[in-house]
Amino acid sequence: MEVVVQITFGVIAVFILVAAAMVVSVRNVIHAALWLIACFFGVGALYMLLEAEFLAVVQVLIYVGAVSVLILFAIMLTRQITGEGVRQLTNRWPVVLAIATLLFATVLAPTLINQQWNVPPAPPLGTPEPIAGPAELGRGFVNEFLIQFQVVGVLLTVALIGAIVIAYEERARRRKVLTLAEELELKRLREQTSPTVPAPVEAEPVVQESRSASER
Amino acid sequence: MYDILQALINGTFGWGWPDWLIYLISSLVVVTIILVVAPLQMLFFTYYERRVIARMQDRIGPNRVGPEGIWQPIADGVKMFTKEDIVPEAADRIVHFLAPCVVVAPTILMFAVVPWGPGMTPVDLPTSLLFFFAVSSISAVGLMMAGWASNNKFSLLGAMRAVAQMVSYEIPAVLSLIAIVMIVGSLSINSIIEYQAGLLISNRDLPGIPDLGLGWFVFTPVGFVAFIAFFIAALAEGERTPFDIPEADSEIVAGYMTEYSGMKFGLFYLAQYVLNFLLCAITAILFFGGWQGPGVNWLYAQAITPTNPDGNGLFNVLAGALGVFYFLLKTYIFFFVMVWLRGAFPRLRIDQLMDFGWKFLIPLTLANLFSAAVWVAFTRWGAAEGMLITVGWSPVLRWLAAFIITLAINIGVYLWLTQVYAASQAERRRVELEELSATL
Repeated sequence: MEVVVQITFGVIAVFILVAAAMVVSVRNVIHAALWLIACFFGVGALYMLLEAEFLAVVQVLIYVGAVSVLILFAIMLTRQITGEGVRQLTNRWPVVLAIATLLFATVLAPTLINQQWNVPPAPPLGTPEPIAGPAELGRGFVNEFLIQFQVVGVLLTVALIGAIVIAYEERARRRKVLTLAEELELKRLREQTSPTVPAPVEAEPVVQESRSASER
Repeated sequence: MYDILQALINGTFGWGWPDWLIYLISSLVVVTIILVVAPLQMLFFTYYERRVIARMQDRIGPNRVGPEGIWQPIADGVKMFTKEDIVPEAADRIVHFLAPCVVVAPTILMFAVVPWGPGMTPVDLPTSLLFFFAVSSISAVGLMMAGWASNNKFSLLGAMRAVAQMVSYEIPAVLSLIAIVMIVGSLSINSIIEYQAGLLISNRDLPGIPDLGLGWFVFTPVGFVAFIAFFIAALAEGERTPFDIPEADSEIVAGYMTEYSGMKFGLFYLAQYVLNFLLCAITAILFFGGWQGPGVNWLYAQAITPTNPDGNGLFNVLAGALGVFYFLLKTYIFFFVMVWLRGAFPRLRIDQLMDFGWKFLIPLTLANLFSAAVWVAFTRWGAAEGMLITVGWSPVLRWLAAFIITLAINIGVYLWLTQVYAASQAERRRVELEELSATL
């Protein structure tokens, strides 16, 4: 069983590394995003291998289902970089690679050298599960890690409000494309000499359509 | 399945096969069953929908192939297989090819956690409900891939619409489910079904209720609001008619499927109907008890189960058959409602869809979450949790208090929200009108 787990780990790890390498080396940005999704899947599979199935499922739900979709959305909405014209690797990528490796090594080397690698033996059967289930995580959030939880909540709310503020468009500045029916309606309104407040809303189905035109 | 094979091979035949082999065989059998059942359900659903919608539009519908046209879906399938597979020249070939697979695979994976009857869950995960929704969100990526790789404006527009809709309606769907999860206290679909035993009232809330398998969540105020919100969100997620903006054929041809032909198109079609089946099934499971119904629990109590190893095998079959019958009956009724809505309502506009989801459903489900907390506090908490009012109350009194308070909260919030929503929509229309007259 041990061997099977190790082989599975090896396969997943190679998959994650290949996917991650493709993310930074592939020329097309959309392809890079898709490789990133593959990478997220691999990480989810690793969680599954560690028997943290709640984390695995949440990894799929949040990273594959939400974050990657947002990334794809962002790429597709920014027109200039969707094509294949943009190179992701600069000419000096070996230098960058060396610097990144050095920085990573300075963090990791002391750990690797000083670590004794005394992996604790497997706990005897019947020991309580470590924090992995949703109930334990929830209890942790409202007891031990309450402040962190609240801070993250405030942070996300701020991000949400910021997104609304950036995306908010003044009504008056919206580009207006009138449909044929609306132009007719305008013409009809112009012909009336007194521009009073128009009739009740239900009687003006044409006006409703102007909104859909203005929001697209 | 493992238990049955174990009993059959090592018990009845006495062959003494090793555990892992039996495990492998049982997994293979389960996977085969799922892979056969899912397309069959899809075939039946296409026929069912066409006949029902035809009846609603005063037509007959498919009636030539086989008795009453029952083989029509198979004829359609053969047609799909024999069509030429066309890939646009400007398309991204690999992604174009992968997209249908990415859309279909999660819908089949979702089948893995759906319980069909008592003891008939393919994979019994402790977090199966979360798994269901996590996996369902993957297909959004597939839609994006399909829309982008086709290199077609309509495809890209359709994919954008589909994903925007799925992402925004996932929130009310999951929020309404959290209310149920709070009451049950577990993410396992099986324990949610087991909770719904009883007669109009769950016998977990009120011990001593006769068990007729009718303690469904839809009979509680919390469950009812959650059911309505979830079903609307499910319509949006399955791209059913009031929300079929992503493939609005009068606006953007066929949305993300525009550039697909032959069996690749067939795969999208398959994914859509399988997803609809699963959404109906999960509605039936969460709010209408799944396989719960009069008699199932009684039959299952006599059957061979881990807790009752010397039962009668015949009762396993009987309980399973009755459970599957109830489950499919409920699922098909919900699909009928979906078709009914398709026959009755026109398509929404994208801004109406977004307004309704974000400004009405999400606040409603949030209020419902609060009601669920009140429900749990009244029915289950005691002095240890700090709930001092209900100390010494009988279970009936606790249940009644919870019912009345949550009913009052939910009705109040609903009335208030409808007023606010109507007022905001009217205000918006008024502003639009003023703008229009200001351009004079």
